[in-house]
Amino acid sequence: MIEALDIALFLVLIVAAVLALVAKDLLTAVGMLTAYSLFVSLLFAGVSAVDVSLVEAALGAGITGLLLIAAILATTRRSEPRPDPRRRYVVLPLVGLFLALMLYAATGLPDRGDPDAPAQLGVSQVFISQSLEDTETPNVVTSLLADYRSQDTLGETLVILTAALSAAMVLVRRRDKDDHDGHGAGDTGHGDDHGAAADDSTTGNTAEQAADDGAPVADRTTRTSSTPTAGDGAHTGGGEAR
Amino acid sequence: MLGTYPSVVVRVVGAILVPFMLLFGVYIIAHGHYGPGGGFAGGVFLAVGAILPRMTLSPELAYRIFPTWVGPLVGGLGMMLFLLVAVAPLLVGGAFLDYGAIEVAGMAASRVRYLGILLVEIAVGLAVFGALLLIFDVLTDAEDVAGELTPAANREEVRR
Repeated sequence: MIEALDIALFLVLIVAAVLALVAKDLLTAVGMLTAYSLFVSLLFAGVSAVDVSLVEAALGAGITGLLLIAAILATTRRSEPRPDPRRRYVVLPLVGLFLALMLYAATGLPDRGDPDAPAQLGVSQVFISQSLEDTETPNVVTSLLADYRSQDTLGETLVILTAALSAAMVLVRRRDKDDHDGHGAGDTGHGDDHGAAADDSTTGNTAEQAADDGAPVADRTTRTSSTPTAGDGAHTGGGEAR
Repeated sequence: MLGTYPSVVVRVVGAILVPFMLLFGVYIIAHGHYGPGGGFAGGVFLAVGAILPRMTLSPELAYRIFPTWVGPLVGGLGMMLFLLVAVAPLLVGGAFLDYGAIEVAGMAASRVRYLGILLVEIAVGLAVFGALLLIFDVLTDAEDVAGELTPAANREEVRR
């Protein structure tokens, strides 16, 4: 791979990641994450990992963004500021430490494509040389995933299906008529209402939103049980999303 | 996000694209032996092919092509196919997931493994398709995902 392109891609990658973190508008953040995935998939393609690249482009740059946008439309579009700004004085050194550790560990890694790397000396030699003979499959990645290491794939598929079923169990609720706990109103209003309130309530609210199941359900109950204006609001939100 | 998109250009292009996206998904699944791809990526393309009509076409049409029960059903069928393929070698004395142990007349063991890989890829593709479609449907509040029907008035509102 061309080295300059490599470096440029990494720089764009870091910029996209930082922008996704900084963006106040969550739709912008999703767009940045999607761009991030796209550039990661280009990098994968650059090191000849075409299978991973394809999955990353389809999943990361494609449907993940779609699902995130769907989640945003079901909850809220604005990201809340951190309740306690002092938090960064704890988090930033930790992140720096982690980064330093990773960079230090990276110096001990074998070069890309090194034939003497530990990963190349074990069973992978057998897989690579025997794949065509054993399974009539020229693409070693496929024969690895679906034959030599098919138990991993079995577990992986189970995980995906379980995740989808869990999401369905959490999000599909019977639409109880009196499920109001004031949270749906808090979604739009508590930013300015409780601006001067104690820190406890604010963190409680964000924690609930992060739990990812309280907010959509509350939002849905308000949407279905209230007047059509709520539905119209959701609809215009959808228009903006596109 | 759901429902008929206002622009006719988007609707027409979306409608034209869908069959090709589905075909491409099938191609990615079936072509995993010879090129990049496989069940995972192919399943994602199939799921996007089912989701695009939900976002652009009228709900009546979109949910007729791919009803909401398709997600869980196909996902479960895919998983079941995978488990069947995994268990089948046990019946003839082989190891779990060792497709080569199945003896088929006039077919080398490597050929059987080749077909086993194909079946596994199809199973993974179906499972991924079902799982992603299910996640999208529950996120966008599509009705009767778990066999639970909402009153017609609410349904209209949700669909818009």
